[in-house]
Amino acid sequence: MVEKSSFGTSLMETISENLPASIVIAGTIVLTIVIGTVAGPSQILNSIITGGMWALLAVGLALVFGVMNVPHFAHGESFMVGAYVSYFVFSPINRSLGESPNPVLGAVAPFLGILAAGVAGLILGVILERLLFYPLRVRTKQGWVMNAFLLTVGISFILTNGTTLVLGPNFRGIPRYWDVPPLNVFGVTMAVDRVVAFFVALVSIAALWFFLRRTRTGRAIRAVSQDELGAQMMGINLNFIFPLTFALATAMAAISGASLLFMFQAYPTVGLQPLYMAWYVVMMAGLGNVVGAIVGGFIVAILQTATQQFFGISWADVIPTVVMIVVLLVVPQGIFGSKIRSS
Amino acid sequence: MASMEMEQRRGNGSTGSIISFLHGVGFTPLGLVLLVIVALLPLVPPFNQEHMIRWLIMGAFLAAQAAAFDFTAGYIQVVNFGFAAILGLGAYTSGILANTSPVLAVQPGVSPWIGIFLGAVLAGVVGLGLGWLTLRLEGIFAAVMAWFVGIALMGLVRNLTELTRGPLGMNPRSLLETTSNLPYYYIILAMMLVVYVLLRLVTRSNYGLAFKAIGQNIAAAKASGIDPTKYRVLNFAMSSFFAGWLGGFYAHYFGSLTPQTIMHTSKTVEVLALAYIGGRGSLWGGMVVAFPFVFGIEQLRSNLTQLPGLHLVIYGVLMIVVMIFYPDGVAGLIKWAKSKIAGE
Repeated sequence: MVEKSSFGTSLMETISENLPASIVIAGTIVLTIVIGTVAGPSQILNSIITGGMWALLAVGLALVFGVMNVPHFAHGESFMVGAYVSYFVFSPINRSLGESPNPVLGAVAPFLGILAAGVAGLILGVILERLLFYPLRVRTKQGWVMNAFLLTVGISFILTNGTTLVLGPNFRGIPRYWDVPPLNVFGVTMAVDRVVAFFVALVSIAALWFFLRRTRTGRAIRAVSQDELGAQMMGINLNFIFPLTFALATAMAAISGASLLFMFQAYPTVGLQPLYMAWYVVMMAGLGNVVGAIVGGFIVAILQTATQQFFGISWADVIPTVVMIVVLLVVPQGIFGSKIRSS
Repeated sequence: MASMEMEQRRGNGSTGSIISFLHGVGFTPLGLVLLVIVALLPLVPPFNQEHMIRWLIMGAFLAAQAAAFDFTAGYIQVVNFGFAAILGLGAYTSGILANTSPVLAVQPGVSPWIGIFLGAVLAGVVGLGLGWLTLRLEGIFAAVMAWFVGIALMGLVRNLTELTRGPLGMNPRSLLETTSNLPYYYIILAMMLVVYVLLRLVTRSNYGLAFKAIGQNIAAAKASGIDPTKYRVLNFAMSSFFAGWLGGFYAHYFGSLTPQTIMHTSKTVEVLALAYIGGRGSLWGGMVVAFPFVFGIEQLRSNLTQLPGLHLVIYGVLMIVVMIFYPDGVAGLIKWAKSKIAGE
C-alpha cells in the first residue's frame, strides 16, 4: 500500500537531503528580513537587482564550466568588451540626440548598444574558442582543466593590456542611459537604468533557459555537459557545440557589461570585480550548475548588502570571501552540487 | 635521464666528485656558468649602470619567486593563486616590525634583517593553513581556494589601516644605509640561491618523490602509503615561507608597499607565467627565463613609451603560445637540445 506523504514530510525530506543548500537559503532569507528591518526595503530591492546582475554573469561562467570543463578566468573581460561596445555604439547616437532630440530613438538607443554588445560577445566567443581552445583540446589529453584555466588567464592578460594599448586606460562612461526621472517601485525610488538592467538580465536568463530546455540544440548542449563521449556517440558535433556554448557565455557577459555601463563605466580592468563575483557565485553554488548559479547570484547579492550594511563597504570583499572559504570547506562541491567532470 | 646518470658515473677523482656534488645541489655545469655570469654581470659595463642593476635585482627577485612557486605548481600540481598575497604578507609583516615612525600604530623597531625572517615565518604559517584548507580540493578547486584566500588577505591588509595605512601604503625602512643598488643585488642573488638549493635538495629527497606522487595520482599515492595531508601542507608551508622571506626583502629594498600592487592576483600571474614558460616541474626553468625576461620587458617598456602595455600583451601571447604548443617550456626545450647534442 502506498502511503501518501504530506507536503510537510516531503519538504522535510528535501531539506534533509540538501542540508547545506537549505541552511544557506534559510540564512539568506533571515538576512533579507534583517536587512529589510534595519535598512529598509530599498536595500532589499537593491539586492534583488544586483542579484539579477550577478546571476546573469554567473550563468555564463557555469555554462562554460559544465559544458566545456573550462574554468574561465577571462569572463570579466567579456564583460569589459560588452561595456566598450555599448559605449561606442551608444555615445555617438547620444551625442546626435543632444542636438536633435528624438524620443523614440532616445528610448531605443541603449538597447542598440546592448544588442551590439551581445553580437560582439558572440563573435568574440567563437573566435576565442576556435583559435585557442580548439588547438589546446587537440594537443592536451591530461590536465585539460588546469591547462584551459591557464589559457584563460593568458587571454585575460592579453585582453586587459591589449585594450589599454589600443584604447588607453581612461574611463569611458555615461552618466545614464535614459534621461528620465527615477521610477517609484513599491515606494522605493529606483533609477530607470537599474530597473532595465534587471529586466535585461531576467530576459536573457529566461531566453537561455528556454533555449537549453526546449530546443534541440539546447538539449545537445546539456547532453555534452552530462557526458561528452556519450553525446558524441549520439552524433552530436562537439566542434559545433563548443564554439556555440562559449559564444553564448561570452555574449551574456557582454550584455551584462553593456546594460551596466552607467554603473561600472568602461575601462580595461573593469572586468575584475564582475569576474570575482561570478566566481564567488559559481563556487558557492557548484561548478557547472547553471540553475544553482541563478539562485546563487541572489544569495551573494544579499550577502554583499548585509556586509556593507553591518561592516562597512571596505569589508565588502573580505567577508563574502571568508564565507565562501567556509562554505567550500564544508561542501567543496558547492551547496547545490557540482556538475563538473573532473579530469 | 640516462645521460645525466652517465655524467655522474663518469666522474672519477676530484673533478668527478665536484661535478656530482654540484649535481646533487641542482647545478649542471651549464647552470653554474649561467650563475657566475649573472653574478658578475653588474661589474661589466654597460651592466654597471644603476638602472641595469635594478633590473638584475628584479630578475633575481622574480627568479626566486618562480622557483618557490614551481615547488608547488610543478610538484604537487596545485597552482597557488594566492602566492603574491602571501609574499605581500611577509613584506608587510617585516615592514611593520621594522617600523619606528609614529605614522603607524605600533613601532616595534625590530631590525629588518630579523624582521624578514619573522615575516617568512608568519607567511609559512599562513601557507600551512592554506595547505590545510585546500586538502579536500582537487586541482582547479584548490587553485581557486588559494585565489580567494589571497583576495581575503589583500582585503584584510587593506582594512587594517592602523597597522598598514591601507591603500595609502607604507614605506618600510631600508635594509642598508647605502643608496647604491649593488649590495642589494648580491643579497637577493644569495637569497635566490638559498631558495633554489634548499628546494632542490627537498625535491631530490624522498619528500620530493612524495610530492610528485601526490601530484600525479593522489589515489595511487595514498595506496602506496603516502599521506597527502602531511606532504601537501609541508609543501605549501615551505613555498610560502620562502615567498614571505622574499617579500621581506622587497619591503626593505623597494621601500614602498601598497596592498593593491604587491598582493594583487596579477602579480601571481606574472610569476605563474614565468614558471610555466620556464617549464613547470623543473624548478630552474622559471629562473633561467626570469632574467632575459625582465630585461626584454624593461627595454620594450622604455623604447615603446607611446605604446603602454605592449610588453604585457607580448608576455601574455608568449604564455599562451607556450601553453598550447610547448607545454614543457624552456626547460623542456633545453633538455631536448641537450639530448640532441648528446646524440641520443
